[in-house]
Amino acid sequence: MSKLTRREALKLLLAGTGAALAPWPWGNFVSAATPPAPDVVISKGASPSRITEAAIQALGGMSRFVSRGDVVLVKPNMAWDRKPELAATTNPELVATLVRLCLAAGAKEVKVFDNALEDPRRAYVSSGIMAAAKGAGATVRYVDERRFRKMDLKGEALKTWEVYQEAMEVDKIINCPILKHHTTARLTMGMKNLMGLIGGDRGRLHWHLDQAIVDLAAFFKPALVVLDAIRILTANGPQGGSLKYVKQLNTVTAGVDQVAIDAMGARLFGLRPAEMAHLPIAAKRGLGRMDLGKLRIKEVQADS
Amino acid sequence: MALFTLTAYKGTDEIAYPVRIFLRFDPLILVTTLLSSHVVPTALLLSLITVFFTLVFGRVFCGWVCPLGTLNDCMGRLTPKENRRKPLGDQLRRLKYYGLVFILVSSLFTLQIAGLADPISLLIRSLAVAVEPAINLMAHTLFDLLYRAHIPVVTDVSEAVYAFLKNYVLAFRQPFFYQGAFIGLIFSAILLANLFRRRFWCTALCPLGALLGIITRISPFKRVVGKGCTSCNLCVKECRTGAASDVKGEWKKAECVLCGECQEDCPEDAVRFGFFPALGPAVGRGKVAGIDLQRRGLITSLVSGILIVPIVRTTPLAKRRAGRLIRPPGALPEDEFLRRCVRCGECMKVCLTNGLQPALLEAGLEGVWTPRFDFHSGYCQYYCTLCGQVCPTGALRKLSQEEKARTKIGLAYIDKNRCIPYAQGVECLVCEEHCPTPDKAIKFEQVEIMTPRGRQRIRRPVIDLKLCIGCGICEYKCPLHDQPAIICTRLGESRADELLPF
Repeated sequence: MSKLTRREALKLLLAGTGAALAPWPWGNFVSAATPPAPDVVISKGASPSRITEAAIQALGGMSRFVSRGDVVLVKPNMAWDRKPELAATTNPELVATLVRLCLAAGAKEVKVFDNALEDPRRAYVSSGIMAAAKGAGATVRYVDERRFRKMDLKGEALKTWEVYQEAMEVDKIINCPILKHHTTARLTMGMKNLMGLIGGDRGRLHWHLDQAIVDLAAFFKPALVVLDAIRILTANGPQGGSLKYVKQLNTVTAGVDQVAIDAMGARLFGLRPAEMAHLPIAAKRGLGRMDLGKLRIKEVQADS
Repeated sequence: MALFTLTAYKGTDEIAYPVRIFLRFDPLILVTTLLSSHVVPTALLLSLITVFFTLVFGRVFCGWVCPLGTLNDCMGRLTPKENRRKPLGDQLRRLKYYGLVFILVSSLFTLQIAGLADPISLLIRSLAVAVEPAINLMAHTLFDLLYRAHIPVVTDVSEAVYAFLKNYVLAFRQPFFYQGAFIGLIFSAILLANLFRRRFWCTALCPLGALLGIITRISPFKRVVGKGCTSCNLCVKECRTGAASDVKGEWKKAECVLCGECQEDCPEDAVRFGFFPALGPAVGRGKVAGIDLQRRGLITSLVSGILIVPIVRTTPLAKRRAGRLIRPPGALPEDEFLRRCVRCGECMKVCLTNGLQPALLEAGLEGVWTPRFDFHSGYCQYYCTLCGQVCPTGALRKLSQEEKARTKIGLAYIDKNRCIPYAQGVECLVCEEHCPTPDKAIKFEQVEIMTPRGRQRIRRPVIDLKLCIGCGICEYKCPLHDQPAIICTRLGESRADELLPF
């Protein structure tokens, strides 16, 4: 008698399962999943709020990232006492749009804060972000010194560090950095922006900056990164201070993959992603993909 | 007090209605500024209103306006009974006039030290440098304790209260001040003197009180004790400044702060205040005591007021200023600055970074408690112009943001023996990142160096002395906290207008 080999047994089992599941309406699920959401969206146009909205739309809408009842942190760069035109801080309209979209997607509360490098009273006001975010319905508070707690970051450079607890308590983090020049890191984008969620002596991080920001990206894992390249700072970063270093790109790029967005930022700036020291480290760590050629990139134009 | 907390910063460029309003009504500051620097600070002309009221009524300012007087009255409630009834001796009363003469004479010889003893300056300084930091610390400690204990309902309530206090009352960040304890001790001594005699400061020491006391001599406002007086001496016992008298005694007009309590307390309703009361229906005589200074004391204070000038001005620091004495932006040239600054400490209170600190001897004996930058405590924020906005005497000019950005308060120098890229051959760059000038005053040079790891190209910071404004943020942020590898000195400050090699 012929013995049932293991291979045949498995085949039978598979066929049986297939037959049992065939009548299910699989088609509905498949059609909902296609076309697959792009990895990176590039959105261009004159209105910051409209291109931000279009970028999120192209990614599948805010409800893909924010669930009903979520507490969301929208984390801009408002570290410096500079006006928005000087491109040292995230575009306030972009921040306000994200806040609005989160609330529309059912978020319970949207928080906006940054552990500013300069006096937060000045940075929050000068950057225009406090007014814009509050106007859109966000809770904007200064960082409370008591709420930093030393945590195990399990990083390569950052073993333990002071982390702002409110950033740990929220359900989702939406990282919205600005693309700009930075003398130590070359460019500061998404991963570097997460330094605004930690305390301690951040100056010392600059000795191992590339590794440190990768550690932060692995630790915080934002749900979405929206990179502001509406006005970029081409030199003298991260503070700038003169309009002659500001270039108007009218672009927003967004996606889930932190590495891909920073890589796209480098390309928008005119650099190869591999020139950014932190990207190979992050890709190797498995945080995302930096090879833009292999990613699904979608360009949208948001002009009225 | 409310105004004091209002002198806080909310993020805009201008600051609302600050506490200096009291200083503007202070004629002592007007007179001494006038004498020492021969200018009339227009804002201080408001104090002529005080002079007018004093001429007409008397020391109403002391009784009804002066915040230190009010505080003394509050403390006066603690005066032991046996001390309440004893009036202050004339010897002590005269002290304030001698002090006034001393201050006026020295300011005539261009030494401005009125601010040390002027009640308004003294109060604002004490609150800013000593009281507020202490209250802040206590509040933070208390609420921190409750926050960490995390008791269900209690912590929720305490956090709500704390949020409110933080928003409206407490300082944004815990302030730290050199000499806070010293200035606080003097302030406590003044308040505790109430235990010896009520309003001891006002009657024995206050130079502004003395000035107003002299002015009030020609005021037509009088206190009259009428015929009903039974010499029960209730008014004498209850008078907080020991100025009241019964029908036989003399009213010490220069001491009276017109609180009106004697009129209210008199069981026979015999005490009246009014203009030319002798013509009115109330019968009785108002005898008025003179100020009665002794020639010996007057000459002593006059001579010492003259001698103090060479004494403080012959220290070596008066000859050559210390390099680390960095003044706030907008400060007048040093001589002029010292003649105007009244050490009220408002600039230190509003300084965003807590970088402005009271000097002790850094500016010579003459500059005690004048503001100086300490770049260990803070730095000068690039766009901030608050110190110039609150200065009551114009010792710090009010600068526009453009002017501020151009004003050099010093220059930065790198200590290459400590700076990490120079000393260790490792890139660091924190100073460059924070340098706020639009074209960075800290730039990089690319160099190839020999390290234990072989030949390497690194970037090292260099300073462009033309662009550096000496704001001190590089020194403050330098990761070598113990002894920064980049420091600012006062060389090159705009106000000195010195010829420099670059």
